[in-house]
Amino acid sequence: MLAYIIRRMAQSALVLLIVGLVAFAMFHFVGDPIDNMLGQERTADDIERLRKQLGLDRPFVVQYFKFLENAVQGNFGMSYRQGRPVIDILLERAPATLELAAVSGILAIVFGIALGVFTAIKRKGFAANAIMSVSLIGVSLPTFLIGILLIYLFSVELGWLPSFGRGNVVDLGGWSTGFLTTSGLKALILPSITLGLYQMTLIMRLVRSEMLEVLRQDYIRFARARGLRDRNVHFRHALKNTMVPVITVIGLQLGSIIAFAIITETVFQWPGVGLLFINAIQFVDIPVMAAYLMLISVMFVGINLIVDILYFFIDPRLRVDRTGGH
Amino acid sequence: MLRLLRSAACAAALAPAILASTAQAEEFSWAVTTDPQTLDPHAVNTAAVLGFLNNTYEGLVRRNKDMRIEPALATSWEPIGAGEGWRFHLREGVTFQDGSAFTAEDVLFSYQRAASPEADTASWFSPVSDVKIVDEFTVDFLTTSPNPIFPDSIANWMIMDSGWAEANAAERPDKESGNYATLNANGTGAFQVTSREPGLRTVLEPFEGWWGEVEHNITRAEMTPIQNPATALAALLSGDVDMINPVPIQDVARLQDNPDVTVTQGIEARVIMLGFPHQAEALKFSTDTDENPFADARVRQAVAHAINVPAILKTIMRDNAEPVNQLVSAAMRGYSNALGDGPAYDPDAARALLAEAGYPDGFSFGFKCPNNRYLNDEAVCQAITAMLAQAGMTASLDAMPVQNYWPELRAGNYDMFLLGWSPGTFDAEHPIRFLAATPNEAQKLGSWNFGGFSNARVDELLPQIQSEIDEDARQAMLDEVAQILQDEMAYVPLYVQPLIWGTRSNVTLTQRPDNFFILRWVSVN
Repeated sequence: MLAYIIRRMAQSALVLLIVGLVAFAMFHFVGDPIDNMLGQERTADDIERLRKQLGLDRPFVVQYFKFLENAVQGNFGMSYRQGRPVIDILLERAPATLELAAVSGILAIVFGIALGVFTAIKRKGFAANAIMSVSLIGVSLPTFLIGILLIYLFSVELGWLPSFGRGNVVDLGGWSTGFLTTSGLKALILPSITLGLYQMTLIMRLVRSEMLEVLRQDYIRFARARGLRDRNVHFRHALKNTMVPVITVIGLQLGSIIAFAIITETVFQWPGVGLLFINAIQFVDIPVMAAYLMLISVMFVGINLIVDILYFFIDPRLRVDRTGGH
Repeated sequence: MLRLLRSAACAAALAPAILASTAQAEEFSWAVTTDPQTLDPHAVNTAAVLGFLNNTYEGLVRRNKDMRIEPALATSWEPIGAGEGWRFHLREGVTFQDGSAFTAEDVLFSYQRAASPEADTASWFSPVSDVKIVDEFTVDFLTTSPNPIFPDSIANWMIMDSGWAEANAAERPDKESGNYATLNANGTGAFQVTSREPGLRTVLEPFEGWWGEVEHNITRAEMTPIQNPATALAALLSGDVDMINPVPIQDVARLQDNPDVTVTQGIEARVIMLGFPHQAEALKFSTDTDENPFADARVRQAVAHAINVPAILKTIMRDNAEPVNQLVSAAMRGYSNALGDGPAYDPDAARALLAEAGYPDGFSFGFKCPNNRYLNDEAVCQAITAMLAQAGMTASLDAMPVQNYWPELRAGNYDMFLLGWSPGTFDAEHPIRFLAATPNEAQKLGSWNFGGFSNARVDELLPQIQSEIDEDARQAMLDEVAQILQDEMAYVPLYVQPLIWGTRSNVTLTQRPDNFFILRWVSVN
């Protein structure tokens, strides 16, 4: 078992190293940061001097190993744009993204399950069919379009909610939260709907189909025959048994909510790490791009590693296979 | 389940009533596309940084609403002797925002700081040989040769308190790793920075001890960067911000019909032009010629004849820009009024010139263009490509983001390119020095002259223009250079880029061609 875990961790580390290498190979195509760092009155000498100073004159493989060497020591370098340590900037921006992801995730789970159960139970009703049709929007419309539509409806036309930003935040020892002010809560509504809509429809459709499957089972029929109330049948017996695959999907979607917050953050000028990454691309802020990509890949690799290890504990067949065969 | 949905619906309906906003009239907020990289006035020489810092720091001189220089921290100045330099008489009784007094020491310190190798502003002081303190409120700037435009050229040089910089270990700018002055400011200006969160918001409040006369009625101002144009527009329309810059050109007409919003338009200092590889032996991207047709002035004139600038301005810029015949706009000092109009749109003349130059069937070439640097840049390049094709010049257009664009130009990977130039000194000498002078690294000449245009007479006139005290004689030389550049068609000047700001209709402000947003000219009614 220990061998299995060690092997999975070694594989994860290898994946991380390759992701980093690919990322560094691509930075070359993003452009040249020098022009953004020097003013109009720079000379060719200034350009060369700065390039040397930043180590950009060296091949990307060398730059990559330099980055790894520093990253292992916890040093992610200085942002070209802000002239501050990248790690400080990331820590400053992380609460915004995590809070947005948490609210979107909760919205997606709560409404996804609720609507999924509703559409499964009232399969033939008008409301259920309407919800199913509308949910197509959530699956098919691109996030930025949903965001802009919500802004135009609720900010420009109705004037109910702020069109951008995070509102006022309260600093709790390094963690800035928008949960404690009215403007912070108001500012969360539109971005979290935008970000969570796709996941919500996904969960809803999954719950619905699983639920329809379960409702056909014999034990549900027996439960009804026993004269149990609908509520008990639906929620105690049916829903519980639909949750196993749903929880797996929710776990996997958690990572993508954080990673795909980029678009939502750009549309709403939400000051999280995704917006930071987009700005870093425009400015060719290589240290920030590198740190962000590594962070996201560590997160995804970490989630997969945990899932793999959990499977190992849950599924005995896997255990026999792995230790015996391979 | 339904109960849950119902209560959620109730909560959603109640939310706006509970969360009604309580904005005050004197609070002003504005959106910018680029957050200033730093608050250090000597670290980065870009419009985003200097434009913002003009609200909190001040120089010896400043520009007024018409771009002319006027007294700021200096009350008057005069040339020393026969052009040995300039003497500045400083304003007395001025204090910095931290309460310390402004004296000649701070001027000397700020000179040493801004002219240091670590600074991005050192080129402003390349004519200066020495700075001497005469007394507590008089400073002499000695120049290597007579320099008539020196006071103009330091309008964006801002004075920092020497004591504050030393106490906070910020004696020199540090753009790579930053220092105290990167995130904090202490100027003498009308507003002080009370909160700075890079990339998020910067808050300014009026400086009570400011020496000048207050024209604004703002009690608190907040600047927010918003990169997405649609988001910025929505923020303006919903009243979340009071001003955005720029308004996307395609939305101008719609905003003009909206009574809640005012669109303020003007002409920017930036001239958009086409550049050529003057020194190249052959075109890099041609499929049918192994020569360099653009080395021939007649071919460059043919390009100018082939482009219908008024049509581009009408369709792509929606009548928000003005054509131009030289490398600076009419608002700049030293603009040549004597210069005649450039080649008019005339495809037949273009074809005749091409035939004369030995290309009766035209030729093909590569056209490089940025797609995120200037207003509608890629669309303009597409139009130019189509117009040149009608005259027989077949361009293959390659548009790319600006962060990839400059390296391509530096590497010479173009046969024709689009360039915008905004003179930092607001003087016609500036583009001559950077775009028309023969490149010379040691003398810092022609550093943006990618094509290597070279004309002996222009090179001869440039130092004379730089040191001529007499306005008329100077203008005569500037006129001569403008004429040479037009005859040679070193660049094909196209149009002056517009400035389009959007504000809530209760805001009054002043727009300057340098695109600086000056908060002390804003009032909220």
